[in-house]
Amino acid sequence: MARSMKLAGIGFLLLGGLLFGGTQDSEFNVNTRYTVETIKISGDGWTTDPVADRDGKISSGLRKEIAALIGNKLNPVALDDLAHRLRKEFHARTVEHHVLRGKSPEYVQVIFDVKLPPTKFDVSVPKFVYNSRQGWSGAVEGTISDKRNGLTFGLVSDGDDLVERYTGLVARYENTHLGTDRVRLRFQFESYHDQWNNSTLGLIPSATAAMFADTSGVYRTRQNFEPVATIVLAKPLTLSFGASFERFQEQFPAAHPEAANALITTLRYHRRLEGSENQQDVDAGYALRAATKTLGSDFVYGRHHFQVRYQLTHGKHTVVDDLTAGVISGQAPLFERYVLGNSSTLRGWNKYELDPLGGNRMVHNSVEYRYGVFQVFYDAGAIWDSGETTAVPRHSIGVGLRQGSFSLAMAFPVREGRVEPILMVGMNY
Amino acid sequence: MAQPARDNRMSRRSWLLAGLAIPLFRARGAQVLSVVYDGDNLHPLAPPTLHFLAGKPLDRLKNAATVVFASQLTIFGEDRTQVLKQATERMIVSYDIWEEKFSVKLSVAAMKTKQPLPSAAATEAWCLENLAISTLGLAPARPFYLRWDLRAVSPRNMAGNVVGDPGISLTGFMIELFSRRPAADEAHWQLESGRLRLQDLTRKPGRGRIG
Repeated sequence: MARSMKLAGIGFLLLGGLLFGGTQDSEFNVNTRYTVETIKISGDGWTTDPVADRDGKISSGLRKEIAALIGNKLNPVALDDLAHRLRKEFHARTVEHHVLRGKSPEYVQVIFDVKLPPTKFDVSVPKFVYNSRQGWSGAVEGTISDKRNGLTFGLVSDGDDLVERYTGLVARYENTHLGTDRVRLRFQFESYHDQWNNSTLGLIPSATAAMFADTSGVYRTRQNFEPVATIVLAKPLTLSFGASFERFQEQFPAAHPEAANALITTLRYHRRLEGSENQQDVDAGYALRAATKTLGSDFVYGRHHFQVRYQLTHGKHTVVDDLTAGVISGQAPLFERYVLGNSSTLRGWNKYELDPLGGNRMVHNSVEYRYGVFQVFYDAGAIWDSGETTAVPRHSIGVGLRQGSFSLAMAFPVREGRVEPILMVGMNY
Repeated sequence: MAQPARDNRMSRRSWLLAGLAIPLFRARGAQVLSVVYDGDNLHPLAPPTLHFLAGKPLDRLKNAATVVFASQLTIFGEDRTQVLKQATERMIVSYDIWEEKFSVKLSVAAMKTKQPLPSAAATEAWCLENLAISTLGLAPARPFYLRWDLRAVSPRNMAGNVVGDPGISLTGFMIELFSRRPAADEAHWQLESGRLRLQDLTRKPGRGRIG
């Protein structure tokens, strides 16, 4: 009996919800005759005008919705919905909105007050990919953060990025507000155990003096400590600078520790241009790692890395062009050398087939077209060492599916003879 | 033999209990509901200390949101358990942030709108004046008690449930609303009259009729 009463009560509530769902308080809100002048979002010590500032604090979709409310009559239901979405986007404890008189009569200003939880814990997967030739690579990180400080611990096993497979842990402290939002500070510590492909190891005994003049031998372990400060020079332009103190244990000819201590600096530019139907993203960056004896380094080199990425989105259509190039001068350890033929460059090729020791010169371009979840791509690039007279350009094509950060792709190297496609599946790669 | 003087004094425990009880009595004292009888209906007459347009509901109003109050008047029999009559009402209050004036819409028993109202006090007074419960069929000599429940419905409950068009389901929903405990973010008040009989009440003409 009690159960049937309970069910009847639930049914009654559902019926009430259905009968009155969609009718909100707007019908009798006397303020709905006023026009929205501005919408701002404020948090602890910051305020942003999401339409005018475009500072990347909120997603472009939400920004468009906010822009659509400005100039229209006040809609409390839309504001409630927006507050709910902002709460999700900021992972906020609460988001409340305040409506104030506008600068002109009959206009109102809306301010969303974002209150973040005092501390939060996030688990993220910065990379997870299966490559049918190179196996699994992945990283998982847990971050404890308060408003400005974050402490991250992570586990990594990556056989994709470099010539080696490195497995180990990462610990990182970040402060995103060092006196001002424009200055950030990061300390990172990494400790890895390294494994090598037979193609690489096969080259070591026969390595020439010239080859060792360009790079190091293989190593069992390496540790890196990297303090870096980042300054927002202007809103689309950031400059990072710091140092990297890397120690590794070489295996040949006899086990001995070596250091590659470098000054590091990165200049980044990011700009998003939004039209009524198109969205364009431009990313450009230049990174330099300069190892010098004055920092106690056993290796002296300069590693220059350039990247330009352009993305155009029009409805379901997306076109991406990604150009990268790199030059290493001097003698750099193996972990600094460039690699092509992994899950993001010359997809379809085997990196050990292209260059088992990596190269100190690299250029690569990738063009990708996406329609909804479908994607096709064309990669072209070359990797070589200084002193080589010719660089062999290589190409690959592929098709796949991409939904958010998840991707599944089949890539084919373009070459004469046999076709050996590579399957790649994962996220954030 | 004379008793020691200290036996006539209150113990520290008694002082402590008395001290703790004072706020309770004050609170209890504030809950007494007066009524106005117009010959057909009973109207609640809240004590001057009761202000429902204050605190969080007023903050919400000043943020250009509407606040919905659900009111329920109940006449109980002498045993205080038997419900003789019940009347629910919904009051939708809005505040004009430019003109700084209030508006109220009643939309269950009475279908009335009043705007503009110059202040929160005037708005409260108008609401009380228009809340009523019919005494039709109540014997003049029958003792009864009147209870007034008022609840500021939380935005969560408000969405899609109590702000829609009036009707049988809405009335039912409001009865259901009062059958459960108020949510943590719902301001609520409950006042109860003393023992009353219609024949003892002075008829005050001029109050609005319900319906």
